Amino acid sequence: MLDRKNILDDLCIELRMRGCKPNSACRCALALGLALLLSAATTQAENTPITHGTLELVAEDQWITPGHKLFLGLHFQLEKDWHIYWVNPGDSGEPPRVEWKLSSGVTAGAIEWPTPHRLETPGIVDFGYENSVALIVPMYPDASLATQQSSQFGAALKLLVCSREMCIPGKAQLSLTLPVKTQPALPDPRTADLFATTRKSLPLPVPGGWVVKVTETSHFFVLTTNAGHPITQAVFFPLAESQIANAAPQKLVRMGNGFQLTLMKSDQLLKPIARLKGVLALSADRAYVINVPISNARSSPGAP
Amino acid sequence: MKRAILNVMVAAGVLCMASVLSATKVGDAAPDFTGTASNGKTVHLADYRGKYVVLEWHNNGCPYVGKHYKSSNMQRLQKQWTSQGVVWLTILSSAPGKQGYVTASEENDYLAKMQAAPTAALLDPSGQIGHLYDAKTSPQMIVINRQGVVIYDGAIDDKPTTDLNDVPGATNYVSRALEEAMAGKPVETAATRPYGCSVKYGD
Repeated sequence: MLDRKNILDDLCIELRMRGCKPNSACRCALALGLALLLSAATTQAENTPITHGTLELVAEDQWITPGHKLFLGLHFQLEKDWHIYWVNPGDSGEPPRVEWKLSSGVTAGAIEWPTPHRLETPGIVDFGYENSVALIVPMYPDASLATQQSSQFGAALKLLVCSREMCIPGKAQLSLTLPVKTQPALPDPRTADLFATTRKSLPLPVPGGWVVKVTETSHFFVLTTNAGHPITQAVFFPLAESQIANAAPQKLVRMGNGFQLTLMKSDQLLKPIARLKGVLALSADRAYVINVPISNARSSPGAP
Repeated sequence: MKRAILNVMVAAGVLCMASVLSATKVGDAAPDFTGTASNGKTVHLADYRGKYVVLEWHNNGCPYVGKHYKSSNMQRLQKQWTSQGVVWLTILSSAPGKQGYVTASEENDYLAKMQAAPTAALLDPSGQIGHLYDAKTSPQMIVINRQGVVIYDGAIDDKPTTDLNDVPGATNYVSRALEEAMAGKPVETAATRPYGCSVKYGD
């Protein structure tokens, strides 16, 4: 479904940003014409135009099996240089927010966020995704669904799509109907690659045998990882905002069995926190969920 | 040789960290600045010692700023607090060519059209004031007390969205900080993530 009013608003906002007169009705009319033209030319079955990209609600399976979890994906495809945000957006921006409209008997789980990227501008670092990203969401249809032939998944999204230069808020309404069958669901070959690729970018539990510790000094958290082998590259993404200074460099010291990563505390962190939670990314497809208690460094000779 | 290069790199990294660390924080003395207002007047922060001062980072193309101006929330706050003797400085740190950069006359037109009522709107295209306070977003808000100490730094309120409907139910951190400070109480929420658009500094 196309939210034409919204696209009109977005285009008008953007035209204004490009130096057009704010009250130029003709330009907004032009924008509306453009929006309708674009939608007619590019809209396929489920692809919904959003500001500077498209969004599609897809399913991993071909049908719903009552009583069995299935996965849906919110697949964003963005124009070059535009991005959306991770659950913690970093210094600016905000993550997409989804309100599900589901048949009775179906409940939605939490979004599984792929490992984000650092989006850097001078003095400011955001966390998010450029180009293409899918947010996977588990759905839990209970046994009562067996009485139905199909079930509709509706999603109302509030979005913020940004470039380094500007941000444009928007909304999208998505819908997907799947048949209900009693036999075990088969994967949909059309979405198999998308789900496989996306799962590779989801952070994993820390491997067994690793020891991850976090100590703190007055200005820094120090994350020490003993992985049994040296590690030369790591980036930490804090799950909660206002804990670490996003734009500060993360100094990595390689050690024989892992590494030590120094994270500057955020100026907004005025009260102590008990645990450091986030994602530790070693490479594009190797990232781990960190949830570690913080202990005081016994004697910290100044900043590490 | 390699080690020497590494040492230089580490030193550079430490310097870089130090510069981030030196940004103004809640509890610090607010660094003084001199700014040129859109009305042509020169503003010295130090001249306002003895008064509460609110700093508001502004970018007229940012939808988060738009939320607070289209709803008249920002103008209402400006009028409410300046009528009680608070100095309200709107600061525009967008670099020339970037979103939110305006000339003095464009800003004066905007202030008139929006019926905005800050004490002054300061043009900061070099980003000097923005960097002095490590302003990251518009609309980031800073409150300075009568003694010239930063007592609040962060978001305007607790609803980090662009939705005008979120204004009425929000807790306004700026008003709360001013109310608490004027009542002689400590500011309970003194630092928050300043939600919004990144400040469009020059490269």
